[in-house]
Amino acid sequence: MRAAILLAAALCCAALAQAQERAPEPEIVAPPPAPADAAPRIIAAPSPAPTRRPRRAQTAQPGGEPDTDFPAAIAQETFAATSSYQGAEVTVFGYTPDRMRRGDVVVAVRGPPQTAVVRRKFRFLAFWVNGDPVRFEDAPSFLAVYSTRPLREIASPRAIWELRLDPAASARLVGATPADADASAYRRALVRLRRQSGLYVEEPEGLELDANALFHRQIKIPASAPLGEYTIEIFWFRDNRLIARQENTLNVARQGIERTIHDLATTQGFFYGILAVMLALGGGWASAMIFRKT
Amino acid sequence: MSIYLPIAEMPVSGLLVLLLSALVGFVSGLTGLGGGFIMTPMLIFMGIPAPVAVATQASQITATSVSGLLAQARRRMVDWRMGLLLSTGGVLGSTFGVSIFSTLLAAGQIDILITLLYVLFLTVIGALMLFESFMAMRAAGKPIARPAPRPSYTAFNKLPFLMRFPRSGLYISVLPPLALGFGVGVLAAIMGVGGAFILAPAMIYLLRMPTNVVIGTSLLQVLIVAAVVTLLQATITQKVDMLLAAILIVGGVIGAQLGARLGARLPGEQLRAALAIVVFGAAAKLLWDLLTPPAYLYVLDPS
Repeated sequence: MRAAILLAAALCCAALAQAQERAPEPEIVAPPPAPADAAPRIIAAPSPAPTRRPRRAQTAQPGGEPDTDFPAAIAQETFAATSSYQGAEVTVFGYTPDRMRRGDVVVAVRGPPQTAVVRRKFRFLAFWVNGDPVRFEDAPSFLAVYSTRPLREIASPRAIWELRLDPAASARLVGATPADADASAYRRALVRLRRQSGLYVEEPEGLELDANALFHRQIKIPASAPLGEYTIEIFWFRDNRLIARQENTLNVARQGIERTIHDLATTQGFFYGILAVMLALGGGWASAMIFRKT
Repeated sequence: MSIYLPIAEMPVSGLLVLLLSALVGFVSGLTGLGGGFIMTPMLIFMGIPAPVAVATQASQITATSVSGLLAQARRRMVDWRMGLLLSTGGVLGSTFGVSIFSTLLAAGQIDILITLLYVLFLTVIGALMLFESFMAMRAAGKPIARPAPRPSYTAFNKLPFLMRFPRSGLYISVLPPLALGFGVGVLAAIMGVGGAFILAPAMIYLLRMPTNVVIGTSLLQVLIVAAVVTLLQATITQKVDMLLAAILIVGGVIGAQLGARLGARLPGEQLRAALAIVVFGAAAKLLWDLLTPPAYLYVLDPS
């Protein structure tokens, strides 16, 4: 509901802004730098201050200018994982600063980084057992990339890799690989397995710019993806170059009984164990009592 | 009714888990077997990580064995001294088992071990159940099946530390019960089972206890070991999911009570034989999966 209202507000503002801008200047490549212009400011209001990455500034703006703020936002920033949690759904919306609808938009939703452990099965005696682990640090636990066109047509392979829009890009190999093992095969396996379980999603035509250069997209984070802090990055590319980017964070946190149980289990293991035993003893005793009477 | 499990970190259908646990409870009430050896693989099959399934199952076993033990104690069918001796071995064994469990969990080989142990024990259980129900069905046709006379001496009498067990009418060394309890305790911790299916035949055939106290006494051991395993798993591996446990307990105890009630009216031996065949089937499926080359060679460790 809230998302819908925000979205509607954004669409109105964006449309208004474009109507105003149309008259004085026919071509606006970047949004107005100062917050004096009402439209982008309002749209960007629900998002936190985007964390800029100076190291990206060079590739983003060959002219040496810093990244421009992107007039885009997400509709909701916190999600409660209660016992009825079935995944989170968030709307990302905004408009491209170019009213001629040139350029492409890419939205990347990234889950909290985790160490992923990949193993290769091998035959031991007659049985297929797990081989030695190959660890990848900082592999995103979830990554969904939506773009207006296939990524390869939008950006250079190097940019795709550096911006970590390829799920394999951020998985950093740590430690040794087993003898005669090919690390890249393990990396490919990681991506393939996560794709199969719906944790790596790529929709090369999952975004659409409408007549006013507006876009919005409902993004689903499945319940099988881990809880924690997600980043939502929105990029605007033109002529194979990154022109603007913006980063939002989204937090999926345990709440209610989920939080109580999880915190207790991880911080007070012994006490939690006592509680679990009492629950079991109580349950068994109660059932014996109830069924004896009937 | 989808429920997000806080430790397993995944959503499950609450109703499905409740029905399954009631069904397994029903079968265990009917046959007298604990049901852990059916429930744990079922949870794993549903996608719940094996460590969570095993650790959580311990708390359900605690619950079902309390209610069974209370019923047996009311009928004075428990040899408390023997039960406590078995439990002492069981507590030591389960402590050892949980440490093996957490070592293998860290090494990434826990799934393989759990599967192999299941193949082994499902086959043994299936064979035992089939044999027993077959014998019972054959005996039912004959006028009187005379039980074999219990020998007054067993090989165990040669061992030291003899102790009298008045309720069972035994005078044996404490070492065999301790060792038996230990072995079952290790299995209980690693497999997420109570272990009554091994304990009960061993008590009859090895310790030569009278059959009427075997169920109650084994329940005492199972209860104490399962409670200790729950506590150890919660402290060491932190894989006990209390929300899942609550559903399993509710379904399990209700199912067990219904099963026990209906058990008297149903052809028990035929049911045991049918269950034995199901158990064989499960063992064969697990073994097949271990032996056939996997479709994809790579696997991800559960995070």
